[in-house]
Order: sequence, then C-alpha cells, then structure tokens
Amino acid sequence: MNTIIASTWQEMLRRKMLLITLILTALFLAVFWFIADTVGADSTAGGDLLMQYARRSAILSLGFFFGGFVVAFLAIFSSFSVISGEAEQGVLQSVLTRPIPRWKWYVGRWIGYVSLIGAYALILFVAILLITNVHAGMTRDYGDIAVSLLLFLAAVPVLVSASMVGSTLFSGIGNGVFMTMLYGAGWLGGMVEKVRGALPVEPDVEATLSRIGALLSLIMPADGLNRRMQYVLTQGAGETIPFLTGGNPPSNAFVWYAGVFAIFAFGLGLWLFKRKDF
Amino acid sequence: MNSVIPAIHTQALSKIYDNGRGCRNITLTVGQGEAFGFLGPNGAGKSTFVKTLVGLVHASGGSGSLLGHPIDSLEARKHIGYLPELYRYPEWLSGEEVMKFHAGLLGIKGGEAKRRIRERLDEVGIGKRGSDRVKQYSKGMQQRLGLACALLGDPKLLFLDEPSSAMDPVGRREVRELLLELKKRGTTLFLNSHLMEDVETVCDRMSLMLNGDMIRSGSVEDVLKTKVRWRFKVGGFSPLILDWLREESGLSIALVDPAHDAEAAWDMPVWLEADVSDENQAGLLNMLLIEQGMTLYESSMQKEKLEDWFVETVSGRDQRGERG
Repeated sequence: MNTIIASTWQEMLRRKMLLITLILTALFLAVFWFIADTVGADSTAGGDLLMQYARRSAILSLGFFFGGFVVAFLAIFSSFSVISGEAEQGVLQSVLTRPIPRWKWYVGRWIGYVSLIGAYALILFVAILLITNVHAGMTRDYGDIAVSLLLFLAAVPVLVSASMVGSTLFSGIGNGVFMTMLYGAGWLGGMVEKVRGALPVEPDVEATLSRIGALLSLIMPADGLNRRMQYVLTQGAGETIPFLTGGNPPSNAFVWYAGVFAIFAFGLGLWLFKRKDF
Repeated sequence: MNSVIPAIHTQALSKIYDNGRGCRNITLTVGQGEAFGFLGPNGAGKSTFVKTLVGLVHASGGSGSLLGHPIDSLEARKHIGYLPELYRYPEWLSGEEVMKFHAGLLGIKGGEAKRRIRERLDEVGIGKRGSDRVKQYSKGMQQRLGLACALLGDPKLLFLDEPSSAMDPVGRREVRELLLELKKRGTTLFLNSHLMEDVETVCDRMSLMLNGDMIRSGSVEDVLKTKVRWRFKVGGFSPLILDWLREESGLSIALVDPAHDAEAAWDMPVWLEADVSDENQAGLLNMLLIEQGMTLYESSMQKEKLEDWFVETVSGRDQRGERG
C-alpha cells in the first residue's frame, strides 16, 4: 500500500497541482495580510471587547471563506478522475492485475489524497491564524483551536470519499461536474442558513428556509463543517457578521452526521470499486 | 509447479455485459510452456475473455484457473504478466519510474528491482531512454514499456493483448523474436492478436472467437496443413492436357487464371495450382509435365496463410463487431 500512497503523492507533486495551489495560496495570503492589517488597524483605534471579537471574526471568516473553497476544490479536482479517468486512459488495467487486493489500491489512493491535502489544509489553517494573530490577536483557547483544526481538516476525507465514489460511477469529467455541483449544493445550504439568520422574515418562512438549508447541507456536509469550525474558532462572535458566519452553526449531531457520511461514502466507494469491471 | 497443471483452464467461462456482448461458455485448456493464439474479428469478445482471466472483469458464469489457482486470486496474479490492449502510463513519470512503481506492486525491492528494471528495459529496446518521461515516448515506445512491465515479475504466464499493434515493422519483428525467446525459456504465452504472422510464427495452438463464442480450436500446424497447394509455372501448356494430367496424377489441378487463352499465347507460361498432400505427389506432377514436353520454370509450395484461413472462416457469418 505504501507504493500506492507514495505514487499518489508523486502524482500530485509532478502534475504541479500542489505547486500551483501553493503559489496561488501565497498570493492569497499576501492579500489576506493586507486585508487583516486594514481591519486590524481599525480595531486598535478603539471599540469595546465585542467589537474587537467581531473584527477578529471578520478576518478569520474572510480567511476561511477562501480556505474552505480552496481545500474543497483541491480535494475534488485531485481525485475526481482517479478511477474512471485512469480506467479510460488504460493506466489502471496494468495495475489491477498485480498481486495486490483491490481494496489496498483504493485505500492507498484515499490515504494519499487525504494526507497530502490534509497537510496543505493544516499549513493554510496555521497561516490564516498567524496572520489574524498578528493583526487582531487570537484566542489563547487552544482547545477551541484544536477542535477548529479538526473540523477544518474533516472536510478533506468527506470530499475525497465522495469524489472517489463518484469516480467509480461516472466518467472523469462527469464526476468533476457532479462533485462541483454537490459541493455547491452544500455551500448553498450554508448560504440559505446565513440568509435566514440575516433577514427579518416571518417565523414560518424562517422555518422553511432552515429546513431547505439543512437538507442541502446534508447532501454535502463539507461546507457545514467549515461553518461549524468558524463558529468554534470565533467563539460565536462570527454570528454577528451576516453572510459570512451568520445563522445558526451546524449542531454536534451534524458533525457526527458528517463523520457517518464520510465513512459511508468511503465504504460504498470501496464496495463499488471491488465489484467494478475494467 | 507441477507441469501437469495447465497454465490456463476454463470451464464454460462466461462474461455477459448488459448489452448482451462479451464471451460465453468458453472451455479452454492451455498447457504450461505452450504459446496460444487467440483470434477473432473486432468485437468478438477476445479482450473480454482475457480480462476475465486476469481479474479485470468478473465472470458471469463458469470457472477458471491459472496455474492451478482460481482466476481473480492473488496467488494466480503472482505468476502472470499482462499487457493490456489499451495501455497508457502516467505521463509525469519516466519509464524507469513506471517500472519501479510496478516493481513495488510486485514486492520486488532494492538491487533486485534495479537489476530487473534495467534488464527488461534493455530487452524491449528502450534502454537508456528509460530515464525519459513517458510523455516523450511514441506510442510504440509506450507499448514497449508495457511489455517491459508485463515481463518485470518473470511471469510464468504472459497475456499479451495486441502486443505490437502500435509498432513499426522493425519493432514488430523484435517483439516476435522476444516472444520466441520467451517461449524457448518455457514461458506460457497467450497471444491475442490481429497480426496473423505473429500467431503463425509464435503459437502452437489457437482458437477463433466470433460473437462471443469459440468457434474453432486446434493446432496452428493443423490449420495450415489442411490445404497445402503447389504452384507450377509451365511453358508450352495446352488446356487440352489438363484433364489428362488430373487423371494421371489423381490430383485436383486448376489453371490459376482460367481465362488464359493458352492457344493464343503458346509461348507464354501459365500457372497451374494443385492440391497435394505430400511432396511425392508434387514430384509426380513435375515428371508428367516434363514428359509431355512442357517447360517447367518454377514449382513451389503455397502454404495457406493463417490470414486466408481466418478470412475464409469468418466471412459470410453474422458479425456483431465493427461491421455491425
């Protein structure tokens, strides 16, 4: 399995996928530094503790708005054609006739993607926190930071597992479209919830919007995890910023659901892969 | 491994896809050390059968074993090499890195892996270009790399699906020679090819598939022996003696160009063709022609080509392949 994990890393590095992402991330972080500096400068000018929290939350929310997207798209676009694409190209046929069980190939690929994208997500998380700390100070509640980090990283196995299931069912390009739309649906669910939290609407409309938002978030829980992560990291202050972190944060049950979702997607993908004809 | 155990044995092995295509009820035994040719028009089900044997597709029915181990088992896959019909290798890797990856999958490590990689790359003619990225390889080079990968584990049983389809004539000859060398070393070869010359030269036995069924099987020699023809280039021939020749020799003799007006072109040589079972009969015919005062310019055995046999066998039958 180590051979397969290593080849997955090698693929991502050689195809310059990670390099391009790192360069663009550096550019983003430079811009983010400027944004944080601007917002932070305003913060030092005065204001009460709540406003200080709100400004820090705004900086973090902007950072993780980008961070959530980039990690999601890196996870999707690195793995969307892992099975169908390689089978269409004829790469997989010579590999699967080797004396390794199919599950080892699948698990090896999964670990390869999750570990490398997870490492990238970790670096991004730390960078956003460091920049925020420089300009607006950060919480010293390391427990919250650790939980936030885990929630931020948790989106990676969720997305990679779903993407690999899609790759056993659809063509490479078809799965790319499918996964983008799936992620978009989850993201829209979060937006619906934020809109509900921001707009003064009747209680029955609010309940309907909440249901729609929750259902969409259940289709793909990656964005929901990101929203929960921001809630934990900003200690709830983010709720004061409409359209960034407004609305109710996803519950503990949702986080458990995301875990079950990832395990189910992983198991389903593995089962389909073992039964698939190439 | 006991040599009594066949390299390949299938009992009514079938793989039927949802569209009804595939292969059905294939019962086949290939002995160890044998070179077996698998023929058939496009869409006949040859590749499906091979993929079922190597575990890429799951059988719909029947059973099969490779060197005594059930198909699809890891034990069976330890002893096989496979060159797929549709082959591609990661373009971001060099040829050597592709080989190293496959060595890892085979559990071959360190110095042994290095040695084998170098040997195989040399054997298939890639040599020092092994350090180039695959994206710089021509299609023929990629096919050579595929062959090197298939040979990496020193397989006892080698499945080759169109092994030289992308190669130029020199490459094809090199592959043919390599296959003959492997056969000499005792490797069992299962050759799925449209290149009849390869099958004719390399294989001991063969089967013909059509529309998912195996319609013919036998030794290549037997198939080619069924019709041995001799041709005679004769000067001063008169059609009047054709019947006499047939009567005297007891052979089926025909003018190759029946429209030839021998009377009008007395001095022009004609070609006669005779079905003979041994060389003595050809000698008798030589003698009769000379006795009649005709000039014999040339006589030669026209062994039927496998391609002729293939076309003759397949033509006129319903085909589901490219011709619909």
